[in-house]
Amino acid sequence: MTWRIGALGFAALLLVEPRVLANDPAHAPEPSGFWTGRMLGPVPATIAGGRVIHTAELKLLAAGGGIFLVDVSPSPHKPEGLAPNAVWMPPPHHDIPGSVWLPDVGRGAIEPAYDAWYRARLEGMTANDKTALIVVYCHPNCWASWNAAKRAILYGYQRVYWYPDGIEGWQDAGLATSVARPELPPS
Amino acid sequence: MKPLGKLVLRPFLTILVLCGVLLAPAGPRAEESEAARAQRWHDLAQAIFGERQIQEGTGVIALDAPVRALDAALVPVAITLSGAEPIRAIYLVIDENPSPLAAHVVFGPAADPHSLKLRVRVDQYTEVHAVAESAAGVLYETKRFVKAAGGCSAPAGSDDPAALKDIGHMKLRLVGDVAFGRPVEAQLLIRHPNFNGMQMNQLTRQITPAHFIQSVDVSYEGQPVFHLDGDISMSSDPVIGFGFVPKDKDRMKVVVRDSKNAIFEHSFDIPPEGS
Repeated sequence: MTWRIGALGFAALLLVEPRVLANDPAHAPEPSGFWTGRMLGPVPATIAGGRVIHTAELKLLAAGGGIFLVDVSPSPHKPEGLAPNAVWMPPPHHDIPGSVWLPDVGRGAIEPAYDAWYRARLEGMTANDKTALIVVYCHPNCWASWNAAKRAILYGYQRVYWYPDGIEGWQDAGLATSVARPELPPS
Repeated sequence: MKPLGKLVLRPFLTILVLCGVLLAPAGPRAEESEAARAQRWHDLAQAIFGERQIQEGTGVIALDAPVRALDAALVPVAITLSGAEPIRAIYLVIDENPSPLAAHVVFGPAADPHSLKLRVRVDQYTEVHAVAESAAGVLYETKRFVKAAGGCSAPAGSDDPAALKDIGHMKLRLVGDVAFGRPVEAQLLIRHPNFNGMQMNQLTRQITPAHFIQSVDVSYEGQPVFHLDGDISMSSDPVIGFGFVPKDKDRMKVVVRDSKNAIFEHSFDIPPEGS
């Protein structure tokens, strides 16, 4: 009997979270809050409250216009202690044409002021339309875009699309990118 | 007439250009990025080598790296030198990293300069260049394209104190049997987080300050094997593979300096104790 309930329970769980229980090494389960672990690594296959899209669909959406593309790739900070003759030459950052680049809003934990700035920036670009279609991305296997998309969902946006293939997924499909400049909150 | 001609032509040209952009298949775009990569390497070569000419390195230097790396914070790179030309030094450049010159290695008289293995961070899709400098001062280049992304901002580990534990510990491993007078491959493991100043400590929300290996000196029988100038593009806990010829029962000495002016020293028996 116990075995039977166990098996039934197991089967029910399989229906709910097939990917997790199938022990899919390519994907992580969704964390309850924001992801505060290592930024680079397997990401979930889903995002609660939002949708996952891939390159073919995003290509169509981008061609149609009327969507808001948010690139949350981190931007390089020049470290202290570099040798005087070290070559510090960050390359131009390329992303999907028409994107705004908001580095670091995908951190696991962000300062309240930074959080408020991200919220205000989204409100500004969408004219506070909570049904606006927002696409959030960075790189493949990068939690920053998952976190930033999650934030947008929690701000109340109803159509948040997470594009986990990221800039490299876009490039791999032979699609054009353009050089972006990071937007940072006024200090 | 001339100004009018220009006025009439311009909208047509604009339309042609727009069509070109919108309809361009992957081909021309690939050529564009090819051109952008070539320009990037041109700029970097200028910054590192100035006006010096760089020869195509086939037959002198070969570079092996994964086409698609599993972990962008730990991409293995292997450089092989044919020996056709005596080589004094190697430069390893990760073109699209913010700090592209990952390592500059100068071989000493105790080296067997036929191979060099390193692990590096890759921030985005990039060409990796290895440049060999011959004893005569000629530069030879080779390159590989590596698909990996995010290695520079990837935290080294879950928390910093753990990453700093055992800092400066080293191990030396010799690959295969050791016979005096015959070249052997050595692997030097150095415990060091090599924080590049771009990694976020997820708990404290702070950028972990840069703390990285600036140089590694290896000597054998009092003679230099190599001197390595490192940078933040090296992975944490670096593993350096190099060749040397064991000649006698003697010690190999390693001196590591980091960006906080800490010095770590270790001596290893060759052949290792108990072997």
